[in-house]
Amino acid sequence: MSENTIISFENVSKSYSDGTQVLKDVSFELERGKFYTLLGPSGCGKTTILRLIAGFMEPTEGDIFFNGKKINKVPANERQVNTVFQDYALFPHLNVFENVAFGLRIQKVAEAEIKQRVEEALKFVNLAGYGVREIPEMSGGQRQRVAIARAIVNDPEIILLDEPLSALDLKLRTEMQYELRELQQRLGKTFIFVTHDQEEALAMSDEIFVLNEGNIQQSGTPVDIYDEPINRFVADFIGESNIISGIMVRDFVVSMNGQEFECVDQGLNPNEKVDVVVRPEDLELTSVEKGKLVVTVDSQLFRGVHYELSTYDEAGNEWLVHSLKQADVGAKIGLDFDPEAIHIMRLNETEEDFDKRLESYGAESDEK
Amino acid sequence: MERISKGAKFYLAFVMIILYAPIFFLIFYSFNSGDSMVNFESFTLDHYKAVFEDDRLLIILINTIIVALLSALFSTIIGTLGAIGIASMRNRKLRNTMLSMNNVLIVSPDVIIGASFLILFTMVGIKLGFTSVLLGHIAFSIPIVVIMVLPKLQEMNNSLIDAARDLGASKRDILTRVIIPYIKPGIFAGFFMALTYSLDDFAVTFFVTGNGFSTLSVEIYSMARAGVSLTVNAISGLVFFVTIILVLGYHFISIRKTKVGVRK
Amino acid sequence: MKNKGSVFSLIPYYAWIILFVIAPILLVGYYSLLDLDGNFTFANYKQFFTSVYLKMTLSSFWYAFLITVFSLLISYPAAYLITRLKHKNLWLILIIIPSWINLLLKTYAFIGIFGNKGPINAFFEKIGLGNQQILFTDFSFIFVSVYIFIPFMILPIFNSLDKLNPALMDAAKDLGASRITTFRRVIIPMTMNGIKAGIQAVFIPALSLFMITRLIAGNKVITLGTAIEQQFLVTQNWGMGSTIAVFLIIIMFIIMFLTGSKEKGDAQYGKNK
Repeated sequence: MSENTIISFENVSKSYSDGTQVLKDVSFELERGKFYTLLGPSGCGKTTILRLIAGFMEPTEGDIFFNGKKINKVPANERQVNTVFQDYALFPHLNVFENVAFGLRIQKVAEAEIKQRVEEALKFVNLAGYGVREIPEMSGGQRQRVAIARAIVNDPEIILLDEPLSALDLKLRTEMQYELRELQQRLGKTFIFVTHDQEEALAMSDEIFVLNEGNIQQSGTPVDIYDEPINRFVADFIGESNIISGIMVRDFVVSMNGQEFECVDQGLNPNEKVDVVVRPEDLELTSVEKGKLVVTVDSQLFRGVHYELSTYDEAGNEWLVHSLKQADVGAKIGLDFDPEAIHIMRLNETEEDFDKRLESYGAESDEK
Repeated sequence: MERISKGAKFYLAFVMIILYAPIFFLIFYSFNSGDSMVNFESFTLDHYKAVFEDDRLLIILINTIIVALLSALFSTIIGTLGAIGIASMRNRKLRNTMLSMNNVLIVSPDVIIGASFLILFTMVGIKLGFTSVLLGHIAFSIPIVVIMVLPKLQEMNNSLIDAARDLGASKRDILTRVIIPYIKPGIFAGFFMALTYSLDDFAVTFFVTGNGFSTLSVEIYSMARAGVSLTVNAISGLVFFVTIILVLGYHFISIRKTKVGVRK
Repeated sequence: MKNKGSVFSLIPYYAWIILFVIAPILLVGYYSLLDLDGNFTFANYKQFFTSVYLKMTLSSFWYAFLITVFSLLISYPAAYLITRLKHKNLWLILIIIPSWINLLLKTYAFIGIFGNKGPINAFFEKIGLGNQQILFTDFSFIFVSVYIFIPFMILPIFNSLDKLNPALMDAAKDLGASRITTFRRVIIPMTMNGIKAGIQAVFIPALSLFMITRLIAGNKVITLGTAIEQQFLVTQNWGMGSTIAVFLIIIMFIIMFLTGSKEKGDAQYGKNK
């Protein structure tokens, strides 16, 4: 465990009394001062991890460490962690100032210091002067900020955010994404953000943990996860992708529907069954003759920045294409792409093996 | 909104008149200088004076108010704690059982409550009088308080308690700084209902009171059995006046509360 | 909602349940098996099944039934009309205020109103009907009871009507239902829980009223409530009084069971939680 590790999970499992297991043997380490996102569909266990860190739950098995100390049984009110709740959980009977001051009053901080720290925190979230407002008078975005101020005023080491943007409309949500990211950088504290929105995760995080069914599927920087998803679930969950079953004929050659394509992957067993991912934006429209693939355009939607084409190849696989150029619906067209656009996923590969394989590519291409 | 027809308005007005006529009839004759509810002779405040000059009646009035205030206070404390207990029950079945137990006294007819409490107090050896009446009133007010407080507790979001714990609150802090302030409107409503139930009760008091202790209801009953007395009319006038004030007060408190709540 | 209250704070509440909910019912059951001298006997039950008591029970039921029906017939349209008014909550308060005036006072008013020289008889004489005996009749008993119970019937019905989504009535109209069909097929079934609650709030007390019968009906009408009061406080036969009470409790549970609202219905409109 390095100096910089603030939270670590060792083989943590969580089951409820009715037998449902929501976390299955999860281990990871989080470093101080980073913005982490736990990403996954509902029921994947992301909120459970958050509640375990906050202290609202105890793990069934395994240990949780905070700054190297085991905290399995430390109650929530004694942890250096504060949470921004999904519904904000602002106390309706207290005004904005008192909501933010709640934690300080519990700690019996002197009145003058409370005043100073609360005002500072409110200023931090751009709510200076809003102290006397009642909670029902505040808009959704403002309540969000109050909730954040209430968490940061206690100067915790970690701030947990449980889908805090989900109740806001799209425009406000995007704004808050910038603000949160900026806030985290100014504070320099560890943020752990839970969301099911992949765009949010990609935009804000230093590192993303993708979860599904109680397991961590993959962790890494947004770019890593987007470009090199470990499996079908991650590829599908993060961004839009075309996922086709294929066979790795030999190093650098993959076959889909009997057609062979050049790629950059290697080190797999000859004729191994794999999943092949090609992102829609990596496909380019071209003439039938020039295309590596020939497809028929089934439908076309204008998405503002690009056209989204739904096309089918002769074998009946759907290929989603994001293109700046328009195509004619019903026409046959060619699709072109670089060998790098192809990403090969082994079936049932562990994250460890996956990382090793990717690293080996890097080593060899460096040698070249 | 559809306009309602003339006939409908007439019907509503008729119901209203029926509901209020007897009350105003009583109050009207309370100003009668005669001694019956038959001929209105001339205006007088003598009967009101009589109420305030009758020491016995005043003592009964004070007894009634003391019993009402004390029973409302105790039942509010016990009932609020009980409601918090019921709300915190995880086991659905157990919670529903507790709720049914709670509601037994609400649906029980007064006579049954009165008769069974009479047996209870006699068996335990509590002297019939102030103590037995107070205990009886506390007992039948507790479930009403629970019913008034429980919805507030159920409406309270669990994440509020998580948030308080997250901010360092101990169990005691959570109770005094979050739960109690949040359910305060329910507690007030419960106290208020307990007060009115106690003031209004006749049957239970009638059963469990002994010689020498009486409340207003019981006194009115014995006066009314003895025949018409315009002192009772004067009491009606006073009761009506106090009731209206209480209703208006309660109404404005609850309106203020919901106004803040609605904008959420 | 775990950790909300500690065990100690609940002790008074549990003590209350044991002392004032469970114990009284058990005591009533126990006393119903005792004779005047405190010996164990079934005589009270035997006596209850004689014609005198059965007749009284039946007549008490009949009066309670009439009181409930009349209250419902008057209250439902009133509740319905109030929901259509602009200031419906104000009107509702106006309906409820009389229910807060002491019961005894309201009953007492009718001694004057229905009296031999009261305004009703004065009116009768004016239109040539002559002086009538109104007080101490079945009519006066039922009238006063209905008068007292109307607010208790209106309140639950108003609440269930008020919760109705107006779009449902538009939907019924849209689907071709006439006003009467909408009322019969949509409004009545959907406010059934309110009606049941109202019936429960009226029928059980109507069975057990005793001071109205004493003040207004003389001793002509005897309800189960009057009989219990008579046995406990006049003849001091607690055993017989408890036996009648046992039957009243059983009837109460049956009625609660019959008029108990199904949770499903409540959940559908969400508000009851």
